[in-house]
Amino acid sequence: MPDNETITLELFRYHPETDSEPRFQSYDVPYDEDWVVLDAINWIKDYVDGSVTHRWSCRMGVCGSCGMMVNGEPKLTCAAFLKNYYPFPIKVEPLVNFPVERDLVVDMEGFMDKLQDVKPYIIRDDVNDTSGGEYRQSPAELAQYKQYSMCINCMLCYSACPVVGHEDEFLGPAALALGHRYNKDSRDQGQSERLEVMLSSEAMWGCTFVGECSVVCPKHVDPAGAIQQAKAMGAQEYFKRFVMPKGAGV
Amino acid sequence: MSHVTTHEHDVIIIGGGGAGLRAAIAIAEENPDFSVACVSKVYPMRSHTVTAEGGAAAVIKDHDSLEDHIYDTISGADWLADQDAVEYFVNRAPREMIQLEHWGCPWSRKPDGTVAVRPFGGMKIERTWFAADKTGFHMLHSLFQTTLKYGNIVRYDEHFATKLLLDDEGRCRGCAAIELRTGTVRAVLGKSVIICTGGAGKAFPFTTNGAIKTGDGMAMAYQAGVALKDMEFIQYHPTGLPGTGILITEASRGEGGILVNKDGHRYLQDYDLGQPLDVNDPRHPQKRAMELGPRDKLSQCFIKEKNAGRTIRTRDGHVVHLDLRHLGEKKIDKRIPFVRELARSYAGIDPVHQPIPVRPVVHYVMGGIDVDSNSATNIPGLYAAGECACVSINGANRLGSNSLTELLVFGGQAGTHAARFAMDHPDYDVSALLAQAGDERDRIRRTYFSSPHKSGSERIAVIRKELHESMEDGAGIYRDADSLESTCTKIAELRERYANVALDDHTNSFNTELTAALELSSLLDVAQSMAHSAMQRTESRGSHQRLDHPERNDDDFLAHSLAYHQEDGSAPRIEYRPVTITKWPPGARTYGADSGLKRE
Amino acid sequence: MSGQYHRSHSRAWFMERPAYIRFMIRELTSFFMAAYLIVLIITLAKVGAGEAAAAEWLQALSGTGWKVAHAVALAAAVWHTITFFAAVPQAMPIYIGEDRLPAPIAKIVMGYGPWLTVTAVILWGVLR
Repeated sequence: MPDNETITLELFRYHPETDSEPRFQSYDVPYDEDWVVLDAINWIKDYVDGSVTHRWSCRMGVCGSCGMMVNGEPKLTCAAFLKNYYPFPIKVEPLVNFPVERDLVVDMEGFMDKLQDVKPYIIRDDVNDTSGGEYRQSPAELAQYKQYSMCINCMLCYSACPVVGHEDEFLGPAALALGHRYNKDSRDQGQSERLEVMLSSEAMWGCTFVGECSVVCPKHVDPAGAIQQAKAMGAQEYFKRFVMPKGAGV
Repeated sequence: MSHVTTHEHDVIIIGGGGAGLRAAIAIAEENPDFSVACVSKVYPMRSHTVTAEGGAAAVIKDHDSLEDHIYDTISGADWLADQDAVEYFVNRAPREMIQLEHWGCPWSRKPDGTVAVRPFGGMKIERTWFAADKTGFHMLHSLFQTTLKYGNIVRYDEHFATKLLLDDEGRCRGCAAIELRTGTVRAVLGKSVIICTGGAGKAFPFTTNGAIKTGDGMAMAYQAGVALKDMEFIQYHPTGLPGTGILITEASRGEGGILVNKDGHRYLQDYDLGQPLDVNDPRHPQKRAMELGPRDKLSQCFIKEKNAGRTIRTRDGHVVHLDLRHLGEKKIDKRIPFVRELARSYAGIDPVHQPIPVRPVVHYVMGGIDVDSNSATNIPGLYAAGECACVSINGANRLGSNSLTELLVFGGQAGTHAARFAMDHPDYDVSALLAQAGDERDRIRRTYFSSPHKSGSERIAVIRKELHESMEDGAGIYRDADSLESTCTKIAELRERYANVALDDHTNSFNTELTAALELSSLLDVAQSMAHSAMQRTESRGSHQRLDHPERNDDDFLAHSLAYHQEDGSAPRIEYRPVTITKWPPGARTYGADSGLKRE
Repeated sequence: MSGQYHRSHSRAWFMERPAYIRFMIRELTSFFMAAYLIVLIITLAKVGAGEAAAAEWLQALSGTGWKVAHAVALAAAVWHTITFFAAVPQAMPIYIGEDRLPAPIAKIVMGYGPWLTVTAVILWGVLR
């Protein structure tokens, strides 16, 4: 490979102060087979156009900042290697199903609210007291929820889900998987409280099991599976409330 | 950036990583009537705590003891740690870790359901709690999710704090912060302030640190008159991936991984780190020996091995091999799956079948904002915790897996003390603080949106790159007077050139070029304190190795350096404060055969 | 200041990704299965109405059009079954200790295995 090879990036540009419609801007970037799409965007920002706006931090696939649409697919740009696209141009857009703040940055406030909605924390009846040592949890009990605790909140699944795009009330894959993660945690006693939220209207039932959330998930969380399990749990809870309206607690 | 808006709370926390969130919960839980603001330049779950892999240390098992944890920490620190602080830290650690367990952190478990522990470098007994090899990720998300339980924690996500606001009595009462989305400057006011903004690894070119670790909080405190303590002590982690600097956790050695040179020889045995045992020997890996020596020594061994011509040359510089193959696929997948994922993605090798190329990489700043053992700075009402702070428990070299625990112990402690201060000193004058925030807004606009910045000729990236090269060349694993002198000179030059930085972007909304410029300014401050502190310390201790002063000198330097910012931006004034020694007088720092035997 | 940019959603959203098309095909298979069930119910009704009515109905069903419809319904049913069983390991995970049963095995244990068994029992009952 010659040293002076380049690759073209077509970046989605939108500025809220001046633009009413987005546009695409092309940049030629030196091609390095070790580079990821994020490196190329950083190079553009550093040396060509400082106004290009994007989020990033860890560059190792765990902080969840740098999710974007790369040639139409939701990807962590720190894990999308140029060599997988070269020599063709790469089109980079902000994650779909979110409002765009500027360029490649989306508004994630709605996502943050949905995370909070599922009560993603341990709920217990007893008083918090550390003097008795750790709660016991066997490796088998840990395995029940571990997979669903691996979500990095990168929001790729929201961009892959057609329901998120069409149904505002739908809590979405990551938030539901997180709720399920706590429901399956042997230390938690808040299942009933959490299902209360998840059972309402389209919050969870909006999911039609397209399954793309699990396909695009970079951490193999399988939100689609989690949601189907949560639906089964929810149906049980619903039935319990139907037959025992007063003693519905789990 | 038209007007300044005012937002009043009781306690203001700057930074939403492990320490900041722990502090927020401490305050919210102990003071349900308090309003706690958490101001962070990123959404909390993006904070760099998320990348920590191996684990967090706390004594929990019967065969371990607090005494051992204290001694390992102090000797690991080459006796530069304050022993009263270390004692507090070690005593408090188990309770904090259990608390986090109660908050849902998915710690790896033993078959009986108790938490599992693994050995880390420099430890006599294994005491590192872990959640596979994504411990920091799980800790951060558990903390963040737990904060969602408290209605009195108000988040200012994607707000870039640029200045501390002090009242007429000199008490810290908040900060000015740019709301990234709109560019509005906000005066976030409270009765006390805690800085939890993390380290400054981005002063160096090759680092495990994320883009956000630019020492903003350190620089803010420094500018406000707090000393930066022990800034010459920079930790190089011995095992980063070449090219990217991605961390390969010490847990890979704690689980039994070995380091070999180009001849396949376990070279650490040649540098007083003990004799290797066969990888199939049940006593392997030996604690406080060989691959489980401390990070400073292992990184220094790499340089010696490289100078002897026994490392492996690659496109991305010299490397040695971290060999995990004998662990087998099952153990790798269960205990260190992220190592496999990272090595496959970013080094193109599968550690089940091939050794991982690694080299030392800047990982952690032992130094930081000078705080006492109550996490308080010399400015009343200003506290700091986490990597940005220097208590100091880490001294000249931090032990692996002490930093995550430090976030909890001192984050919680800073929260408690800051809340107490807020209760005792409730009244302040809003208008004076608002005026300062207005001045700060004007300064930012004047500095970056009008000439010479608007028409200047310097690019942020160019200055940053030259800073990186100079820090690596002059203030790396081994330094001497000449190398440090040239780095100090270079930093002075770069500070001057910074005045001519040109921005392409002069708009308000989400101006990340402006934040990059502000971050570079922080880095220049912090790097200056590092280079000058290193220059003045004419001894070798822990991670600070002077080729021209190769011995430790307890007579003159059993003391913390304190760098004070000068108004004109010239070289900081450096002072010294003796280390607090209680029960553990300085001794020889030995690993390998006589490891840990030198204790009283 | 024009503020945030909201991208509009296409009405033909299901054409945007191959996976969405596959999803729509999967959903459509239910239509054919429902249609076949209606035919089956009519058949039962005709059988209940007497031998003559049943014979007449069966005669009608032997036309080419009906044969094609049955073939399509069968294909749809098979595809629906495959996609349904493919989802089983996700929706009903089975753990043995801390290890999750691998998907191919879970599909057999929870899906194809019981299905084939029930089918065999019915066939045995009918053909005996």
